[in-house]
Amino acid sequence: MTAILDLRVQTRLESPGRSFVLDVCFSSATQRTALVGASGSGKSTVLMAIAGLLPHVHGHVRVANKVLLDTQHSIDLPARERGVGLVFQDYALFPHMTVEQNLAFGICRLGKQPSEAERDRIDALVRQFDLETLRGAWPRHLSGGQRQRVALARALAPQPHVLLLDEPLSALDAQLRVRLRHELAEMLERVQVPALLVTHDLSDVEALAQSVIHLDKGRVVDSALMESSV
Amino acid sequence: MTTSSSRWLGKFTLLAALSLGSAALHAQEVVVSAAASLTNAFQAVGQAFEKSRPGTKVTFNFAASGPLLAQIQQGAPVDVFASADQETMDRAAKANLLAEGTRADFARNTLVLIVPATATAVPQKLADLGNAQYKRVSTGTPSSVPVGRYTMASVQEAGLTAALEPKWIYGESVRQVLNYVARGEVDAGFVYRTDALIEKDKTRIALTVPTTTPVSYPIAQIATSKNAALGKDFIAFVRSDAGQQILDSFGFSKP
Amino acid sequence: MLTPLWLTLKIALLATLLAGVVGIALGWWMSQRRFAGKNFIDALLMLPMVLPPTVLGYYLIVVIGRNGVLGQYLDRWFGINLMFTWQGAVIAASLVSLPLIYKAARAAFEDVDGRFLHAARTLGAGEFEIFVRVTLPLAVRGITAGLMLAFARAMGEFGATLMIAGNLPGKTQTLSIAIYDAVQAGNDAQALWLTLVISAVCVVVLVVSGRMLQAKH
Repeated sequence: MTAILDLRVQTRLESPGRSFVLDVCFSSATQRTALVGASGSGKSTVLMAIAGLLPHVHGHVRVANKVLLDTQHSIDLPARERGVGLVFQDYALFPHMTVEQNLAFGICRLGKQPSEAERDRIDALVRQFDLETLRGAWPRHLSGGQRQRVALARALAPQPHVLLLDEPLSALDAQLRVRLRHELAEMLERVQVPALLVTHDLSDVEALAQSVIHLDKGRVVDSALMESSV
Repeated sequence: MTTSSSRWLGKFTLLAALSLGSAALHAQEVVVSAAASLTNAFQAVGQAFEKSRPGTKVTFNFAASGPLLAQIQQGAPVDVFASADQETMDRAAKANLLAEGTRADFARNTLVLIVPATATAVPQKLADLGNAQYKRVSTGTPSSVPVGRYTMASVQEAGLTAALEPKWIYGESVRQVLNYVARGEVDAGFVYRTDALIEKDKTRIALTVPTTTPVSYPIAQIATSKNAALGKDFIAFVRSDAGQQILDSFGFSKP
Repeated sequence: MLTPLWLTLKIALLATLLAGVVGIALGWWMSQRRFAGKNFIDALLMLPMVLPPTVLGYYLIVVIGRNGVLGQYLDRWFGINLMFTWQGAVIAASLVSLPLIYKAARAAFEDVDGRFLHAARTLGAGEFEIFVRVTLPLAVRGITAGLMLAFARAMGEFGATLMIAGNLPGKTQTLSIAIYDAVQAGNDAQALWLTLVISAVCVVVLVVSGRMLQAKH
């Protein structure tokens, strides 16, 4: 089984009052992988390192046969070239842009008018994530579920090789979380992109992932395949 | 006398002495507002005055005559006012600010044209200022500074008003004009001879400028002065031989 | 009668523009880096706001006066003399306004949530594009408030301006200097009229800027 995700990242993890070394090494062959651990174990840091948003990261990162980082061979792609889609904990939708503009951000660059093909892609995304009525809406007027759809659509707009989700459901209350977990599972099924999902909630893992990696204090302590995916 | 009553008497005496003393101190101070051109000369006059009358203190307030008048009009507690031209004193008289019969002329001055010591171009006559090499010429703001008025009258007399109109750089006082020339910020400036003597190293006198009216300095007591006696004494001192000698040493002439 | 008004507006606008460009750039730069001596540079940039105007005026004379550190070369090589010019007044006014814009811009940039910038990076945008499309729009309210304050400060600038640009009616006599001049000459009617004019302009600026900041919501 060829690995979809294959990485070793080493970096220093700094947080108020704490500082320790992150040394994570794993590879995963499943389409959807979960990264779990207690808070402060370094899960989000791993995502940031994969996305290229952290300085001073050593090691190698290979995603779906694309090398993003290889310190030994002096390869270190800047974040904008890595083709990594990132969904943040509270979605981080651009508050000063409409839903459509948020989606288009990953497709159209500054000063360029969207081409025919690009406009088609935006329309396809809108349809796929059921955002037709929300095109001109402002993020602050959207519900939690709507924001999740927009965040996912936006991350997928530039057609990334991998999707990283940082605790996508933890900001929600219990009831909403159950409903959106279903929605998220469905959406992840539909998109063909491999996903790495960070969470501390084991129910998320059961519903969404096919394999699990366990982190503790900056190191991998366990990894396993979910029974349902075998 | 018993100890307690003598102590009480002692305290009373001390209190009385202090209050009388402070009243006396108050009576021995005189506030003089004088034109900027009088700065150095009057400081020397003040020192001599204080020496001749131990226990007195002269407080000076130097600025252009116009602003000094404005301050007095606003109620500044001034005892004596000395201006650099008759016009300012006339305005004070018109506003009923002067004490009757205290006005007198005490000195005269000369208007000169100076250039920076490092200047390569030195005007031989007033009309030379119209040449292109003199881009900036300074004098006092005519509306409030006497030296500016003397200058404008002389310039008009010489028919150079139009030629010099775009070149004027106005100073707040004659001393600021002097400063501009000394620093080389302007190509030439109109000041009094007494001012030019202050900055002998950094400026040179190009020529003496004839004025349409004599540069005459009047002095007077302010009507609302609380130190009339001392004010009168100060004016008398300025006009006395001692005072006139000091003024002479700074380049002023007799009134 | 109104020449000082147009002169004041012209100088204040240009000074705000000059201080704006420099202040926003510095605010951005300082918001992004952490380095030894950062606090020192911050204090240096805030200095013009704290120093007495006459001290600033003195330093300016030392630098751009005809025999000044820079001024002598400007004079010798280019024949440029900034003393007694409205351009000199613009420099004096922008110097006193700079701290206001710098402080506001830096705070505004620091307030921009880093996650928006991260998101933008993963979506393929380069640093300049991120600055233009994400950082600046999110910081614009704070920066605008700083610009308003700077404009008001530049309009009222007096001490340093008087020392550098002097009091030349029609050329460098701004409203504040004209009022001072009128009081000096005992011309109370003129002083009152000019004071009313500048007060009216300030009120208008405040009302307009207040509306602008509200409309952005």
